Amino acid sequence: MFGISDPGICLAYLLELACLVFGVYYGIRYWNEDDEEETLKQD
Amino acid sequence: MNYILLGIIIIVYVFILVALSWYAYRGTKSASDYMVGGRSMNSVVMALSYGATFISASAIVGFGGMAAAFGMGLQWLCLLNMFMGVVIAFIFFGKKTRRLGSSLGANTFPQLMGRFFQSRSIEIISAAIIFVGMPIYAAVVMKGGAVFVEEIFHIDYHLALLVFTLIVSVYVITGGMKGVMYTSAFQAILMFVCMLILLIGLYKSLGMGFTEANRALDAMDALVPAHLAAAGHQGWAKMPLFGSEQWYTLVTSLILGVGIGCLAQPQLIVRFLTVRSSKQLNQGIFIGCLFLVITVGVVYHSGALSNLYFYQEHGKVAVEMASDIDKIIPLFINEAMPNWFTILLMLCIISASMSTLSSQFHTMGTSVTSDIYVDGIKQGQAPKHFTKWIKLGVLFSILISYVVCYMLEESIIARGTAMFMGMCAAAFLPTYFGMLYWKKITRQGALWSIVSGFVSCLFCIAFMHQKEALALGWCQAIFNKPVLIEAHPFPLIDPLIFSLPLSAIVLVIVSLLTYEKVAKQK
Repeated sequence: MFGISDPGICLAYLLELACLVFGVYYGIRYWNEDDEEETLKQD
Repeated sequence: MNYILLGIIIIVYVFILVALSWYAYRGTKSASDYMVGGRSMNSVVMALSYGATFISASAIVGFGGMAAAFGMGLQWLCLLNMFMGVVIAFIFFGKKTRRLGSSLGANTFPQLMGRFFQSRSIEIISAAIIFVGMPIYAAVVMKGGAVFVEEIFHIDYHLALLVFTLIVSVYVITGGMKGVMYTSAFQAILMFVCMLILLIGLYKSLGMGFTEANRALDAMDALVPAHLAAAGHQGWAKMPLFGSEQWYTLVTSLILGVGIGCLAQPQLIVRFLTVRSSKQLNQGIFIGCLFLVITVGVVYHSGALSNLYFYQEHGKVAVEMASDIDKIIPLFINEAMPNWFTILLMLCIISASMSTLSSQFHTMGTSVTSDIYVDGIKQGQAPKHFTKWIKLGVLFSILISYVVCYMLEESIIARGTAMFMGMCAAAFLPTYFGMLYWKKITRQGALWSIVSGFVSCLFCIAFMHQKEALALGWCQAIFNKPVLIEAHPFPLIDPLIFSLPLSAIVLVIVSLLTYEKVAKQK
């Protein structure tokens, strides 16, 4: 995969990609989400 | 080198830094503004500044050079940087730290721990550990920046170091945390753009695409120099041989040491105290992950592929081109990239150094002034013109780091970073985690854990870990042998692997032993 024969290296690249996707998803999903207590204070 | 273009770019760059520092200076009215940016920084500035602080010239020059020597195995560090340094740090540590810091009114990491445990000893000891350990890390970052300038422009190393330190000093001392964060955010944008361009330039200079270049590098196994092969190097697109010297250095020192150590970095933790709510941290995860994969991911990838470039151009691999590993990336950029981009990348690497250095100076300065002098010696009585005292503390820290920089040996950048991160993790991580998540943690448990983690880490550096023990020579002088335990693989295992579990065990045992007594007293 990716022209790399060692699965140990391929796995690192794949997990980086997965981590990036998670980071993007989490950031967008909870973009405007605050702590419950913060929201209560603001209310 | 086009010196007119260089001059214009540098003038514009310094002008932007001065303008941001001035803006920060005008917005800094109180000690809280100076130490935690008034707890009102926005998510983009916080995340970019966090990323830029995380990624120093050490990551680019030092670890990029390590990637050229060790190969693509360094991508595991990029993964840990993203996963531990952003995802875990922001979600599991950042949110609770921010809430705790806000409720306790803490402005520094030692103060956060001291106030949580209602213990001045914990605050002072933590601040002292930072003040003792951080100059080494700051010095390697300074060296990283100065080595790069020396290599690219062929100017005197000492002059490069002096100018570099002076510029950072000005904006840290005047602008405080706001100055540090605004300038770091600007520098992070510059780093991000430069690394994207480096990625494109890399493949252009190699004349091939991603998979093709990886395949070509994978086929270069036979070119691994004999001394590296003997240490377990199997090729630049392969992990080192399991259990070999290179494997232990790569996995325990570089990947785990830095990957785990980043969770307990005081200069990063204090970023969580600068935002108003958890919303900024959620937004920061998106920005932080994207920033890290482009910056460190690209530089480690480029470092490994520099072997292919040097082989195509000179018939030699990277470690044969430069004797000092820290000089491989500057040499690669100087040779492979166009002139205008070399200038831009120089600014990127200088930015990486400056952003990390400014945070280090700020953290050391606040530790020595706010934690040791005010909370420790003056028993919490802040002097008149407190901000001026902090500025003096920052200046004092800068001078110490500058002196330490002249004591460093060659190829120290990545190792020095790993050493400091390991030291912080061993001393602070179990207590920091326990403080946020374990109700039975006690003051005594925390104190003993911090002390045992720090002392055991120092002990392992001086008497167990081969590289440092040989350089220091204390073990040889006292016990008449290079390291205390000579049986393989002990001399190769990073001190963190021993001292972190020890620190955690001490925390659990002492806390459990003292919990009942503390509960009864309450």
